[in-house]
Amino acid sequence: MKKKLVSILLAATMITGGLAGCGSEAGSTQTPDANESVSSETATSEAAPTSETPQAEKAEEKEDASEEPITLRMAWWGSQDRHDKTIAAIELYESLNPNVTFEYEYYSFDDYFTKLKTLVASDEVWDVFQLGGNFPMYLDKIYPLDEFIDSGVVDVSKISEANLKTTRETDGTQLGLTNGINTYGIAYDPAMFEEAGAELPTENWTWEDYQKAADTITEKLGIFGSSTFLTSDFIAGCSTYIGQQGSLGQYSFFNLDLTGMGFDDPQMLTPYIQMRADMIKKGSYPDAGASAEVTNIENDFLVTGEAAMTWVAVNQFPTIYNVCAEQGRELALAPLPKVNASGNSGALIQSSQMLCVSQDSEHKEAAAAFISWFENDVDCNNILQAERGIPANEDVRAALAASATKGQQIMYDYVDSVSKNPTPKEYNVLSPDGQDQVQDNYLNYIQQVVSGEITASEAAEKTYSDAQAIFN
Amino acid sequence: MVDTKRTASTRLSMFFNNDNVVGHVFAAPFIFGFICFSFIPICMSLYYAFTDYSLGSKVAVFVGAKNFLMLFEDEVFIKSIKKTLQYVFFAVPLKLSFALLVAFVLTRKSRMVTFYRSLYYVPSLVGGSVAVALVWKQLFARKGLFNSVLMNMGFEKINWFGSEALAIYPLILMAVWQFGSSMIIFAAGLKEIPSTYYEAAQIDGANGFQSFFRITLPCLSPIILYNLVMQTISSFMTFTQAFVITAGGPNNATMLYALNVYNQAFKYNRMGYACAMSWVMLVVMSLITLVIFRTSKFWVFSESES
Repeated sequence: MKKKLVSILLAATMITGGLAGCGSEAGSTQTPDANESVSSETATSEAAPTSETPQAEKAEEKEDASEEPITLRMAWWGSQDRHDKTIAAIELYESLNPNVTFEYEYYSFDDYFTKLKTLVASDEVWDVFQLGGNFPMYLDKIYPLDEFIDSGVVDVSKISEANLKTTRETDGTQLGLTNGINTYGIAYDPAMFEEAGAELPTENWTWEDYQKAADTITEKLGIFGSSTFLTSDFIAGCSTYIGQQGSLGQYSFFNLDLTGMGFDDPQMLTPYIQMRADMIKKGSYPDAGASAEVTNIENDFLVTGEAAMTWVAVNQFPTIYNVCAEQGRELALAPLPKVNASGNSGALIQSSQMLCVSQDSEHKEAAAAFISWFENDVDCNNILQAERGIPANEDVRAALAASATKGQQIMYDYVDSVSKNPTPKEYNVLSPDGQDQVQDNYLNYIQQVVSGEITASEAAEKTYSDAQAIFN
Repeated sequence: MVDTKRTASTRLSMFFNNDNVVGHVFAAPFIFGFICFSFIPICMSLYYAFTDYSLGSKVAVFVGAKNFLMLFEDEVFIKSIKKTLQYVFFAVPLKLSFALLVAFVLTRKSRMVTFYRSLYYVPSLVGGSVAVALVWKQLFARKGLFNSVLMNMGFEKINWFGSEALAIYPLILMAVWQFGSSMIIFAAGLKEIPSTYYEAAQIDGANGFQSFFRITLPCLSPIILYNLVMQTISSFMTFTQAFVITAGGPNNATMLYALNVYNQAFKYNRMGYACAMSWVMLVVMSLITLVIFRTSKFWVFSESES
């Protein structure tokens, strides 16, 4: 009898335990619904008196908006510097808007997109999220800002048409607001060049000059001439190399509407791949093993003193400039080398990234309001310090320029000089879905050229056909 | 009325006292977890393997066997198979022999044995973690500990993760280092061997090697089989080391299968293709396990048969 009782008790606890488990789960999924129903209730109860006086409506709505507690989820990728600054900006916003609290997450670039993809699959994308040139892949998840611009929640009065255009769909939908404009360059340490007796970069230096300088530095100083063998080698190097050939705007890696290739002859890539392989063989460019040690711009070989040059998206420049200044070194910024000294620069001004509102958000308006503040508020941008790129808002730009540090000043001057370059009338800096694999394969083909498995011309053919396969 | 009530309550208590019912109730949490988090995803992945499903678009269009056909034209896939086989063939035997050696040494009757046994088990506890992988990355880095030791001894430094031929060995070494769980199982097996066998052999004049190869190994062979199967399966699924230390490079020389599946699914956004790869992996692993079981009758000694 006792035995029976015990077993019944045990079974009962198991069952209740199971039920409780289910119960709490159901409870937690219900909470947001409950919130929603509450908010919609207040909305309807509000709507009734407001129909009488439209002015009162606005006031009441505003009041209501500031009282209702809202939690916004936000995420971004970047370096430690960006994380610190963004968190400080978020804290400022929270202090200005006590009803809004943020749950923020930050990642490195790769991890960010891994996380984003899983959230896309479960329809739980952060309310405010950051996207770069690869946004075409996530179009379904972006809630356009147009209605908020019309209603005045998002202020674009100080943002120029050209800047707005960088984050617009081809049909004119405003997907987000750009965090800043940006372009690629090469950051270098002039002292190392002088020590090695290499020629300093000029406005019109060519890839041959670049290779020669890097090789000289490696021979004389025993460090890498240039860095790093990662995806920027494809984006800033290889694909720019195509745009630099022919007449202005004749070629680009992918075509303007991302439906196919922007050039026909794979052999246009060969000289670049050959140069890359030669430099890796010589030791003037890090191989894949060494490059894997570089996880973000702050531990790039230029910063650690193991290389004299590196690729930078110019918004990264002030960060590494400051780090090197602490070591007593002074960095400079050079344009990307060209194919011909008198040819196209291939450098394009683009949006570094943008902030978007997600389709999954329950507080789209609050998210849009935050984005507007983030891009337009001077105090906020004084914290952010143009780390994401040169701000699109004129007032913010003027305020920042007034108090610019040396590194930032170099960045502003550089972007000015690049924007004076002749650029094609139309260009597209976005990347199609599938480019990640093309990039990874491209880096592997170069290693195969280094080990002698294939020739540079075969590597060019393979890269071309990989890229073409995206569109099949 | 009272009668029916009584029968109902006895029926209920009969129901709960039934061994099967109690067993199922206790197993319920596991069954729930298995169905929700293993069985349903497994079935879905079989379906997705025949579609072009991706996490980004969430539209799964049926494409037939296209994913499977594409596999055989995929250079990276073929290379990842080769590299994974290389990894398994080196890591598993090395790990098992090392585990057996340490287990053998640690079965001696000495005071510190339990302490040392726990000590050697520690790497397995932390083994799969990212932190250890990061330490490993630093140890074998261009300016890491191993290279500074080599250079201090007057050798050239070795570019471990830059060389296609060498890059996989640090990963294998890391797997071998995590021999703890096999060691514990071996140690338990060694204790089961009756000491009378050894005493008899000693009287017959057998030396240490002879008694190891003639007594210890045959008696331990069922345990060796178990460890071999378990370690082979877990080696095929190795992910952390390759992901954290080398990210598959250089030139895919450490592109272990699980990492390749991950890349296709989450980096290149081709979930359907990745699902197809997983199923191919299942077939390959089952075949290899089958081969191990089939050959086992030639080398596994079972006392009941003799």
